[in-house]
Amino acid sequence: MSTYQEFEIEREKIDFLLEKGYTIKGVTENLSGAFVEFEYQGNNPDKSKKERLHILHPDARKYFSTILVQQQRQKEVQ
Amino acid sequence: MADLSLNLAGIKSPNPFWLASAPPTNSGYQVQRAFEAGWGGAVWKTLGEPILNVTSRFAAVGFNGQKVAGFNNIELITDRPLEVNLREIYETKKRFPNHAIIASLMVEPTQEKWHEIVKRVEEVGVDGLELNFGCPHGMAERGMGAASGQVPELVEKQTMWAKEVAETPVIVKLTPNITDITFTAQAAVNGGADAVSMINTINSLAGVDIDTWDTIPNVAGKGAHGGYCGPAVKPIALNMVAECARHPKINVPISGMGGVSSWREAVEFMLMGATGVQVCTAAMHHGFSIVEDMKDGLNNYLDEKGIDSVMDLVGKSVEKYSDWGNLDLNHQIVAKINNDVCINCNKCHIACEDTSHQCIDMLKDDNGNDILKVREEDCVGCNLCSIVCPVDGAIDMVDYANGKPPMTWNERQAAIGAASSCEVDLIK
Repeated sequence: MSTYQEFEIEREKIDFLLEKGYTIKGVTENLSGAFVEFEYQGNNPDKSKKERLHILHPDARKYFSTILVQQQRQKEVQ
Repeated sequence: MADLSLNLAGIKSPNPFWLASAPPTNSGYQVQRAFEAGWGGAVWKTLGEPILNVTSRFAAVGFNGQKVAGFNNIELITDRPLEVNLREIYETKKRFPNHAIIASLMVEPTQEKWHEIVKRVEEVGVDGLELNFGCPHGMAERGMGAASGQVPELVEKQTMWAKEVAETPVIVKLTPNITDITFTAQAAVNGGADAVSMINTINSLAGVDIDTWDTIPNVAGKGAHGGYCGPAVKPIALNMVAECARHPKINVPISGMGGVSSWREAVEFMLMGATGVQVCTAAMHHGFSIVEDMKDGLNNYLDEKGIDSVMDLVGKSVEKYSDWGNLDLNHQIVAKINNDVCINCNKCHIACEDTSHQCIDMLKDDNGNDILKVREEDCVGCNLCSIVCPVDGAIDMVDYANGKPPMTWNERQAAIGAASSCEVDLIK
C-alpha cells in the first residue's frame, strides 16, 4: 500500500505556491495534521494575499518544515 | 599489547573486568579462584547483618534455545557473620595485593550503622566500598537496598554518612527500578560519592508453571519477586549508564554492569561512559574462566584499533547519544535486498507487509525467478526487514541521498513557534 502518491500530491501543492511567489507565514498543527498558511510576496495584484493548505502526509509535513526552517535562516542572514 | 589496567576513582585493577557483588563473590575461596582465573577485581557479596535465605533461589529465562538469556534470583545478601567475611577479605587481599577488592555494604539507614560498618570493613584493607542501594527483593522489604535507593534524599544522606568516615573511594550502586536513574545518581554525587555503579537487578517474576500454576522460582509453592539480570537486561543497563554519562551534573566515574557477557559488551559499556564493568550472570553460567576470552578479545580489539590503553575507550560514544528531538528528521536510509544472496524465505515481505510499511514487493525477474524488491520511495528505513532476515548480507540498509538539509524536531518546532499560527478548518 503505497502512500508515496499522497506525498507527491501534497508536495506539488506546496511547490506550486512557492513557485508563484508565496512563502510560509504560519503553521498550526493539531490532530488532523498541519494547516499551513502561505503569504504572497510578489507584486501581482491578481494574486490572493493568502493561501492555505491542509497537509496530511508525514513526509509532506517534513517537507514544508524544512522549507520553513530554510526561510527563517535566510531571513536571519539578511 | 594494550594496557588493560583500570583506575576507577582511585581504585586500581589489572584489567577492567570485576565480578559483581553476587553469589560468585560470596567467599574468599571463590574470589581467590576468580583472581587466579584472571579477574581484575571483585565486589564482595554484600556485607551486613547476616540474613537467612530460602530454597530455591534462582530461575533462568531461555529463548529459542538460548539458555540463560535472563536470570532471576531471590537470594539475599551474605548469610555469614561479618567477622568471617572480613577475615577472608584480609586473606584474599594479602594474597592478591594488586587486585581490587571492593566491599559491598548494606545496613539500615542510620548514621551509626553506616559509620560502624565502614570503619570495620576498611580496617581489613579493602580498596573501596560499594553502597548497595539496589537490591530489589527481600532486603527492600526491610527498608534497605532498593527501598533506600528509590528515594534520592535517602541515597544522598546515606552516601554522606558513609563518606563521613570512609578513607577509601565510595561507589554508590543504583537501582534500575526507578523512572529516571539520573535523579538518584545526582543524589549520590551530592552526597559525595566518588563513583556510581549500575545497574542492580530489575524487579522480576521469571515465569509461571502452566501445569502446576506455581511461580518460577517458588518456595514450597509460593513465590516473591526477584531481581532480573543477564544478557536480556543489557540494553536497559547500557541506556542508564549512557544517561548518567551524558548528564552534566553526574561527573563521577561509572562502573557499568547488566548483561555483560563478553568483551564486546564491555567495550560498549566503556564507550558509553563506564570506567570498567562488573559481571555476574555470565560467570554463573560459564564459570570464572570466561574472563580469559574477555581479556584476549578486549586486547585484540584495542590492538586492532591502535588504542594503547583501555581507559582511552571511556566515554568515546557519549557525545553520539542525545535526545530524540536532536535527531535529523531528514536523514533517510532505505532497505536494499541483495537477490543474489537472498534465499526467498519472504520473511522480510511478511514483516513489512503485516507490521511495517508495505514496501517490499514479491516479483519475478526476467528469467521468471522469484525476487523481492524494495520500493524505496515508500521505505521508511525502519530496519525491520534486515532484523528478521535470517541471511547475513541479504539486506543492507543504505543511505538514501534525498538532498534535504538536516533538520531536527527541536529545530522544526522552534521554526513553527517563530512563525504565526494559521486559521484551522474544523474537520467534521
